[in-house]
Amino acid sequence: MLEKIPVLKCCTKCNLPETYETIEFDIKGVCNICRSAEARDDNTDWGERKKLLDALIEKHRGKAAYDLIIPFSGGKDSTFQLLYLMREYKIKPLVVRFNHGFMRDTIAENNLRTFKKLGVDVIEFQPNWHVVKKLMLESFKRKTDFCWHCHTGIYSYPLRVALMYQVPLVFWGEAQADITGYYDHLNDEIEYEDDKKFNMIRTLGITAEDMHDMINTPEDPVDVRDLTPYTFPPVKDLMKMRYCSVPLGSFIPWDYKNNTEEIKRELGWKADQLEGVPDELNPHGEKIECFMQGTRDYIKFIKRGYSRVSQISAFDVRSGRLSTEDAVKLGAEFDGQKPPSLEIFLEYMGLTEEEFNTIVKPMAIPPYDHKFDAKGDAVKTWDFDKFYREDNRPK
Amino acid sequence: MIGIIDYGAGNISSVIHACGRVGEDAESFSEPSLAVGYDRLILPGVGSFRMAMEQLNDLGWPEAIGAHVKSCKPLLGICLGMQLLFDEGDEDGPTLGLGFISGKVGILQTKASHRIPHVGWNSLNSTQTHPIMEGVKDHIDFYFVHSYQCVPVSDENVLARCDYGGKFVASVAKGSVVGMQFHPEKSQPAGLRILQNFAEWDGQC
Repeated sequence: MLEKIPVLKCCTKCNLPETYETIEFDIKGVCNICRSAEARDDNTDWGERKKLLDALIEKHRGKAAYDLIIPFSGGKDSTFQLLYLMREYKIKPLVVRFNHGFMRDTIAENNLRTFKKLGVDVIEFQPNWHVVKKLMLESFKRKTDFCWHCHTGIYSYPLRVALMYQVPLVFWGEAQADITGYYDHLNDEIEYEDDKKFNMIRTLGITAEDMHDMINTPEDPVDVRDLTPYTFPPVKDLMKMRYCSVPLGSFIPWDYKNNTEEIKRELGWKADQLEGVPDELNPHGEKIECFMQGTRDYIKFIKRGYSRVSQISAFDVRSGRLSTEDAVKLGAEFDGQKPPSLEIFLEYMGLTEEEFNTIVKPMAIPPYDHKFDAKGDAVKTWDFDKFYREDNRPK
Repeated sequence: MIGIIDYGAGNISSVIHACGRVGEDAESFSEPSLAVGYDRLILPGVGSFRMAMEQLNDLGWPEAIGAHVKSCKPLLGICLGMQLLFDEGDEDGPTLGLGFISGKVGILQTKASHRIPHVGWNSLNSTQTHPIMEGVKDHIDFYFVHSYQCVPVSDENVLARCDYGGKFVASVAKGSVVGMQFHPEKSQPAGLRILQNFAEWDGQC
């Protein structure tokens, strides 16, 4: 008997499926994220927003040890936000990077070049790898998302540094409203990277306190202070210095393709291969800062039936650079291939592939029903053999 | 530092906590002579008008609060604390209030279909701008729990009204004195914004 493959309902414009986080479709079958992007382009008075940005910068200029904090991964978005703010406003920022542990060589080179060309102070924080591994396994088992340490760390740690230096202004990159429906562009509002957003989106519903209780075992105790980098700083302290933590994407239209062209031209920034995505689809260097990205995207495909190619295509459709028909074809052809980095992930976690599949499959979002081994393997990226290996599987 | 008047009838810990959320240190104090040490005072209140006034009078609060107001320092009355700002209330029998704002406090005038007390979320319709309401959009919901309403003599003292089977005064101001019939400390971001505005307001308007 032939098994029926469920067909996912997809946005008639960008082709993102019904399994996409926060997605809804209107009567014409167009999704809320497309509609929000239309509202952003049609209704936002970017001239007014730019004046708000001017005022915000001037309000904070010269008032603290640094004018502002720029959280920085080294990817295309944070590199652009650093370039833009330094170029447009001649400000003195402190760049803060939370190192998730999987930085790739091209990014390291890009960053060094960027910092030297721009002339800027940089702080990097590298968290305890033993704790990171425990956090990865715990959040993978509970949420099939092994990136809890990164989601929380990249948002909480820079705010902790802002507190340490008493710098109230913190500028992030793209607005969440450009990506999901947790926030949208319909009400002409500025987004804030505050505790509300942190608890709604970044923590996956697991607080650092809960996480400590989960990973702190008699056999392998974890100091509660090891969770501090992942904990949102005390709101009272942040409010006391009247912190303002906002995405630059709320003040200028975030055109990631043009942004990438600018950082390539002005800083010599280089894109890189991305596991599971054909090079020609990713010239703007989406998601190249982490060598676990391919595995992350693979998990997304097992759960939701779409992945990075579809997401990149959706952006291209919304910005008028790709047709819906081509987006459908590209997603069907390339999404869902098994990434070579999966092996490295399994080694870190001490899991077999069967155990991995057993953890992910029950967390699939209906009606998607994944068939393993249907799409073949993705090719290795050029730097695959340089990735740190550590085999923790039982011998 | 914001001083929260502790006269035995208050929702004090939630007010302290809400002040902390907007980065303001707040503490309760129960000795009227200490009032002079605070730039801003909050008068909370849960219970009846008569009982609250008796407690305030017994402990000598009206003089201390009066001196604070006389020196144009900000005072915020919340819920019953707002009602106490008026000349007189008739809950449990006619009782004189603190008399900072002219008017009386009487039972909530509403339709028979509307239960008293008025409990829950309801939206404000602002009647004038004021520093205390800065950044608070109109028609945003706030949290109410009350059976009585303030009836100011002058509309000039009214900042916002609310509709609960009939319009009633939800917020008042006169000089450095403001009052909220709803609970800003329990009203999510908009309520916190009001507390932040209060913390930044110099009492001038």
